[in-house]
Amino acid sequence: MPDARFPVEMISGVPVVVTPEEVDITNAGGLRTALLEAAGNGPGRLVVDMTRTQFCDTAGLHALMLAHKRAVAESGDIRLVVTSAAVLRIFAITGLDDVIPHFATLEEALAATSGSAESS
Amino acid sequence: MTAVDPVSVEARLRDIQSITDVALSRLDDLDLLAELLDRTREVLQADTAAVLLLDFSSGQLIATAAAGLEEEVRQGVRIPVGHGFAGRIAAEHRPVVLDRVDHTTVMNPILWSKGIRSMAGVPMVASGRVIGVLHVGSLTPRRFTSGDVELLQLAGDRAAAAVQSMTAAADRAAVTALQRSLVPSALPAVAGAEMAARYIPGSGAVGGDWYDVFTLPTGHVCVTVGDVAGSGLAAAVIMGRMRSTLRAYALETTDPSEVVGRLDRKMQHFEPDALATVVYAVMEPGLHQMHVALAGHFPPVIARPGQPAELADIRPGALIGAAPRTRRPVTTVAVPPGALLCFYTDGLVERPGEVIDEGLDRLCRAVTAQSPEAACATVMGALVGSEPARDDIALLMIRRHAGRETDTDA
Repeated sequence: MPDARFPVEMISGVPVVVTPEEVDITNAGGLRTALLEAAGNGPGRLVVDMTRTQFCDTAGLHALMLAHKRAVAESGDIRLVVTSAAVLRIFAITGLDDVIPHFATLEEALAATSGSAESS
Repeated sequence: MTAVDPVSVEARLRDIQSITDVALSRLDDLDLLAELLDRTREVLQADTAAVLLLDFSSGQLIATAAAGLEEEVRQGVRIPVGHGFAGRIAAEHRPVVLDRVDHTTVMNPILWSKGIRSMAGVPMVASGRVIGVLHVGSLTPRRFTSGDVELLQLAGDRAAAAVQSMTAAADRAAVTALQRSLVPSALPAVAGAEMAARYIPGSGAVGGDWYDVFTLPTGHVCVTVGDVAGSGLAAAVIMGRMRSTLRAYALETTDPSEVVGRLDRKMQHFEPDALATVVYAVMEPGLHQMHVALAGHFPPVIARPGQPAELADIRPGALIGAAPRTRRPVTTVAVPPGALLCFYTDGLVERPGEVIDEGLDRLCRAVTAQSPEAACATVMGALVGSEPARDDIALLMIRRHAGRETDTDA
């Protein structure tokens, strides 16, 4: 059953999982499940729209990393849309920004071709 | 059922009570399972009863307890999910009744060679998933009725609850024993340095945080703090493997990037689902500088005498398990005499709804270049206080003796 806290939209055939204002140890398990389910729709691209997310802790990062690993193992890819300075900061400090491509807008995440991953 | 026989209703209630008897719960779980199998056999007038538990890693059902069929357990019978009688029950998640027991319906030769003619089995379900199968058998031909199956399911539910509590207790005991054996209670004596550490398990299950300090034959001092994602026995086991792997690679090279890189390759090959963060530092024999590689971990804090503490300026690197063939940069940090280094895990600095810099600033304000024992106490007081920790916390402080002390030691 889809988790109401992590709605999934299909945009141009790409599942886009939208994350809430806070992603932390209390809902990271739900995010992990939502990402695996959305990725289960078939190999390919998955976008996580974190535009609304102002705060993300290490448990949230682990959920994103796990989804990234699964996607890569199945020759798919995962892109993030991140605008919050606090979220960008924890990405930088934990080295995650070199691993998962992230973009400033949903349009860029959807438009970027595979492999041209640009992290600012 | 049209006419209800009051005698049979009474007998049935007695049967139900025999299985749900509260006195059973006073037994410990393994005895409860044995007693439950005896009672199940009795109320269903069956000749055999057995419990097979699902081993999630292999996808096999393993004979765990039996009455009248002890050889099944003694011989360690294993049935793959989806195959044979028990395997079908687990795969289809529903009861199965067999009127004919032979190699076409049953995989386990013990059952037919024993002369079992009819069988009934039910799934054991805990927290919505199948954890095993309970089955009964009869040496004379009979047809197990839907009433029999209902009673059997009742016993199956009871057995599932007992097994779940047994597993939880065993996991807790194992994790505690692992933590005790892996987190060093005594830190090594290192000339020219003092150390102190804290380890606090989180309020949920104990997890995969650890710290370790050891010296190399070259005189280098290696310091590591890490955090395996997840909690419970699985995380603690991975933590144990990572800790010994790091020690093994540390003996081969003093390049922190190389040690962490090899650890990452080993983890990605043998534990492909694991994610972990690690900080690994190699201090020169004189302790005047350290070479550090980070793998998704927060950088250590350094407090130099007479100066406010700050995050050591170390280039980040990707966490363990993140991406193949990742090379993490090495940063060299000067450690002046009297300086204190503070290594920690995220549980110390993260608070709900707070950006990470606030937690890191709070830590920097609490750390001063004092004795490591006093510094640990100050930091735990300032950052943890009397709140129960949500997540595990590991904290390790190392202070290089001030110049004069080193001279007198030498």
